[in-house]
Amino acid sequence: MKQRHIWFVLLLALALVAAACSNSGGDTTTTQATTTTVQETTTTTTRAPDPDFVGRVIDAGGCDYGGRVEKITAVDEFTVEFDLCGPHPAFLAQIAFSVFGIQPEEHLEATGGAPIGDPVGTGPYSLKEWVRGDSVVFERNDAYYGQVAPHQTAVLKWATESAGRLLELQSGAADGMTFPGPEDFAVIEADPNLVLLNKPEPNIFYMGFTDIFPPFDDVRVRKAIALAMDRQRIIDTFYPPGSEVASHFTPCSVQFGCEGDSWYDQDVEAAKALLAEAGLADGFSTKIFYRDVTRGYLPTPGNVAADIQAQLKETLNIDAEIVQMESGEFIQQCSSAGQCDGIHLLGWTGDYPHITNFLDFHFGDGVVQFGNGHPEIYDLLTEASQTPDSAVAGPLYEQANNAIKELVPMVPIAHGATAFATTSNVEGAYAPPWGQVLFNLWDNGTDTLVFVQGNEPISLYCADESDGESLRACAQVVEALYSYTPSGDVQPQLATECVPNDDLSVWTCTLRQGVVFHDGSTFDANDVLASFEAGLVASSPLHTGNSGTFDYYSYLWNGLIDAEG
Amino acid sequence: MTSRKTVEAFEVAATEANLLESGGAGQWGLTFRRFMGRTSGVIGLSIVTLLVLMAIFAPVIAPYGPDQVLIGKEDVRPREKPCVHILGCDPEKPQHIMGTDGNVRDEFSRIIHGARVSLTLGFFTVTLALLVGSTLGALAGYIGGWFDNVIMRVMDVILGFPSLLLAIAIVAVLGPGLENALIAIAIVSIPAYARVMRAQVLSIRETDFVSASRALGANARQILLRRVVPNAMTPLVVLATLGVATAILEAAGLSFLGLGAQPPTAEWGTMLASERNNLFTSPHLVFFPGFAIMITVLGFNLMGDGLRDALDPSLNR
Repeated sequence: MKQRHIWFVLLLALALVAAACSNSGGDTTTTQATTTTVQETTTTTTRAPDPDFVGRVIDAGGCDYGGRVEKITAVDEFTVEFDLCGPHPAFLAQIAFSVFGIQPEEHLEATGGAPIGDPVGTGPYSLKEWVRGDSVVFERNDAYYGQVAPHQTAVLKWATESAGRLLELQSGAADGMTFPGPEDFAVIEADPNLVLLNKPEPNIFYMGFTDIFPPFDDVRVRKAIALAMDRQRIIDTFYPPGSEVASHFTPCSVQFGCEGDSWYDQDVEAAKALLAEAGLADGFSTKIFYRDVTRGYLPTPGNVAADIQAQLKETLNIDAEIVQMESGEFIQQCSSAGQCDGIHLLGWTGDYPHITNFLDFHFGDGVVQFGNGHPEIYDLLTEASQTPDSAVAGPLYEQANNAIKELVPMVPIAHGATAFATTSNVEGAYAPPWGQVLFNLWDNGTDTLVFVQGNEPISLYCADESDGESLRACAQVVEALYSYTPSGDVQPQLATECVPNDDLSVWTCTLRQGVVFHDGSTFDANDVLASFEAGLVASSPLHTGNSGTFDYYSYLWNGLIDAEG
Repeated sequence: MTSRKTVEAFEVAATEANLLESGGAGQWGLTFRRFMGRTSGVIGLSIVTLLVLMAIFAPVIAPYGPDQVLIGKEDVRPREKPCVHILGCDPEKPQHIMGTDGNVRDEFSRIIHGARVSLTLGFFTVTLALLVGSTLGALAGYIGGWFDNVIMRVMDVILGFPSLLLAIAIVAVLGPGLENALIAIAIVSIPAYARVMRAQVLSIRETDFVSASRALGANARQILLRRVVPNAMTPLVVLATLGVATAILEAAGLSFLGLGAQPPTAEWGTMLASERNNLFTSPHLVFFPGFAIMITVLGFNLMGDGLRDALDPSLNR
């Protein structure tokens, strides 16, 4: 009897120590932190890795294929090592992206690398049912190591028109919705039953010039347009409250985003003088290309296009014809191919919180969207992206931002404000700047939470998807090695930590122990390897997916391994 | 839409009609008296007259330019509700009797200027279709034989397509724009005029006065231009009047789909399209262009109906 007491006390002490150690990583949200502590004492046990464990390896056989990954190794049951082809300061921000969610090795093999409608993960919910054309239903994961959802069921529905989503919210049929229309911001704020959640989404809307086409090959013409635009007028008239005139291409919330000089203020006389200097004092004819697709960075495309047309006419006597293009063709022609002979209106929403996601994607070496590109900009970007020391990288980005201002490949217009809306009885509701909203942090006081978004997910295997609608559904079920906190910082998720070497080219991740997938299998390093193999290795039998393009794998890791051609 | 049925009805009416060579002031005076005796026709004529006046004097009537953006010039927001001072709107606020649109332009001025675009387009489309269609129809009817067969089968093929769908296809090839929309609508309306003209020619060339002319030594060109065509014009005039309504409606349809007038042109269909998502928040921006299209089409239809009744010789008393 006495012995039992001693054992009990010892166990308790051990548990306390374990709790203190495992929580030292630190959670950022207060509500989450308290619950997580309790959960972690019960589930996190540390044990020595299994010596018989045979780890998988992804080996690109060198870096000649042009990608970022040289080798990924499952060192032991709970350690994964990423050997990269160069320094990668944005590694953590990148692997936190929900596209890199981990699914069980066995499940990926059983589904032939295409768990399109039946994802298995470690997240706060398991998938109960996907009723095509109607809703996705999630069921609480009671064994979750994080904060267990307060409700049994979460339902994800969709309605294309923002007015339709708002109607669901107003009628009480839904607890939360994505992206109310700009004209509805005031309606929601005036309604005591609704709450507007500002979503500090880092985005940019710009007017791009492809400088292989005259007269945009003359920097004076581009600069004249930059000086002529009344950007404040566009924000005041067509953007919801909270939107800002862009001082730089990258929003200030991203590190180094707004180092360097602010963008030009409007100066019509100087603009006219520059245009006259370029020999176009009487203006010229051009085209404005755009797509009629609403985004956080461009809530009213048609009106903004018409206003830019009017401003160009008023200030510089430029006759611009508005050309509306189909979305896919627009992206292909104006962005991917750089073949739009005029001004194109496009924007960008950040994928992960690193400046490379903004600048390198648009102004990096080999990008043809703005014409031939400028070595004055991309040389700096290449150098900065391979600089592990942020004290050195900072001034490089400052120079790059100033070079962009000087060469005007585009005119940054706005950082658009976006929002979610909820009913006022939801507690813990948030709209994160990065990553996806997790429903387990929302409590509406009932057993079912309903959330309405814009469209149906394309598939629930998000390694091969790139739209926010699919990613939002996947994030409830599948988790990645890191994740974003509600405020937008990265935090360890399925890894307890990832540690780089000195030049940030080798990252060693220690995995969380004792995590169980929804199908009952235990999470280990081979699941990480299988998940990355499915996305990254084009020759793998697991590389199937939905459409099979794996856009984000190929874009964020600079190309797939063993890709043909 | 000029349906096949309407066209056939015209052909039957034209063939059955005992069209004689009677012309001159007496006949037209009688027609005018008959037209004025019908209320619907008079209403149609009044509407059309008003619209034409509105189009001609648009710059005088409209308080602002159609493309004039009022941001920074007046204290107005996008999609402001209508404000009419005599109806109790705050005198401090600038008067916009139809409100402002999404780009802060005066909606009333745009509607007024829109009449110019729509009427011009209607008249030019019909003129083009009438010229081409009646020439083809007259030649087919007068020459006959294989020529007739080829022309009319081509017309049948065009008539076989739903007219708006064919117009969309033509614009897709030519590229969006007002001129191309005009050409497309003209092409799809050609068969109606060709068929009516051919039917007229077929019946008239068998009449005695044509035979008389031929006996007196008139050649084919003289007979066709001096005898046949003038006498075949009556049903075409009616068809053309109704055709203007159809053309305006189709042009608005094409513009609504983004294939007709391009921004910032103040065209009713384009205006409707650009504000269609704001139906519930700013109904006035959808109502006024829609109403303008409706009233214009109604005007031309009423006038066309009145003309048909007035010109129909079977109603001779």
